[in-house]
Amino acid sequence: MDSPSLISEGFTLMLAGMGFVFVFLTLLVYATTAMSKLVNKYIPEAQPAAAAPAPSAAPAPLAQDQAQLTAVIAAAIKQYRANHKK
Amino acid sequence: MDKLINLFVSSGIYQIQLGQAVMIAVGLGLLFLAIKKNFEPLLLVPIGFGGIMANIPEAGLALSAVENALHLGGPEVVQQLSEMLGVSGADPKAIKEAYAMAGQAKHMQVTQMAIDAGFNNGMLYNFYLISIASGAAPLLIFMGVGAMTDFGPLLANPKTLFLGAAAQFGIFATVLGAVGLTSLGLMDFSIQDAAAIGIIGGADGPTAIYVASMLAPQLLGAIAVAAYSYMALVPMIQPPIMRALTSEDERKVAMTQLRHVTKTEKIFFPLVLLLLVAMLLPDAAPLLGMFCFGNLMRECGVVERLSDTAQNALINIVTIFLGLSVGSKLVADKFLDVNTLGILLLGVVAFGIGTACGILMAKVMNKFSSTPINPLIGSAGVSAVPMAARVSNKLGLEANPQNFLLMHAMGPNVAGVIGSAVAAGVMIKFVG
Repeated sequence: MDSPSLISEGFTLMLAGMGFVFVFLTLLVYATTAMSKLVNKYIPEAQPAAAAPAPSAAPAPLAQDQAQLTAVIAAAIKQYRANHKK
Repeated sequence: MDKLINLFVSSGIYQIQLGQAVMIAVGLGLLFLAIKKNFEPLLLVPIGFGGIMANIPEAGLALSAVENALHLGGPEVVQQLSEMLGVSGADPKAIKEAYAMAGQAKHMQVTQMAIDAGFNNGMLYNFYLISIASGAAPLLIFMGVGAMTDFGPLLANPKTLFLGAAAQFGIFATVLGAVGLTSLGLMDFSIQDAAAIGIIGGADGPTAIYVASMLAPQLLGAIAVAAYSYMALVPMIQPPIMRALTSEDERKVAMTQLRHVTKTEKIFFPLVLLLLVAMLLPDAAPLLGMFCFGNLMRECGVVERLSDTAQNALINIVTIFLGLSVGSKLVADKFLDVNTLGILLLGVVAFGIGTACGILMAKVMNKFSSTPINPLIGSAGVSAVPMAARVSNKLGLEANPQNFLLMHAMGPNVAGVIGSAVAAGVMIKFVG
């Protein structure tokens, strides 16, 4: 039983592993952000951002209801889809 | 009368061993959990049933031709095997050990001899060879998962990838736990075993099976069962940890609505991810490659039929084979072991640590971020799609009935899938 070396192997694996996961996902964050920017700059969609309702600048109760309704519907659709896919 | 005695001697009642009886009970228990309690039934029904079939006495469904020959063959067959492997005497245990140590060429030779003597691989053993030992089944499932995954929420808020990264700490902490238990002399895990056990904390069934089949095939049964049962237990394991680590006010934090993500972005994302994997971590390429492929089929919009097959028909077929093959690993001499207890215990710890780290990371990010981040979505970083995201949503609604976190939690959730696949690649690279 060479337990000290096993433990140190475990530590190395943990440091290297966590380090790598973070480096990789950090790079992915930057790559994704850059990709999104480039795509939206050079290949804009036909009707830009029509789907997203304008952020409720006016605190009218109607706009708030609307945003809430959208959220409810989005959540319901998501759940339905999730239920019917697995 | 002789014939009657013969019939009785070859019957299950006469031949059954205690271990097999216990394992059949375990299989029935898994079926109960799946059917009555609805624990991941898609996996646990085939696993439970496969486990029962694998333990039918004398049938040898889960054994290779060589094992069957050793078990059922007469003294002369055993003698031949022991000669071929250079073992003196006809002790089946010594022969098995020698067989395990022998190289691939010797394996072929011995297997050929067993087949000549009239013994064949059991049915479940063949399923295992085709689906898991080859790595095919977990990868095909990953493709299906890719075809089901919508990266929209992640693309709208790429920062949530950090949450998926933080939650992977559970994996590595568990590795440490496993080697710790070994050095205390309580269990006996090699570093490979420890790595395979840690992956349970990734809360991702196919990844866990893939890694286990590469690093610790002898523990595969226990690891797969632990991974899938804990995934089903996510709604029970996570909430107490989430409540303990967040304050009422934090749980109430509302997040800004996600921006609209264009179709082009969604098409580019799997390609970007694949390129990064190709450049940085080729060892994760099988898993993430299939994942990206599935996702590209979904998003590109021109191969509807393929995408539909990948996320429905194909994944169902593969699940059946995968489940039965995992079940074939639930044989008594490999499963009834103190190490299995250790695996079950470490698995739940891995889940807990992963959840906690995700939440802590979300709290830190909330401090520095320009837009508010509800710490509850951090726990979704342990993949388990979409269960973990739903748990975040539920707790958010409890604190604030107007607060729908589901879409926000889907971001870290799919980030967790990527994170655990990356962690799997690192494990395979370092200890494989």
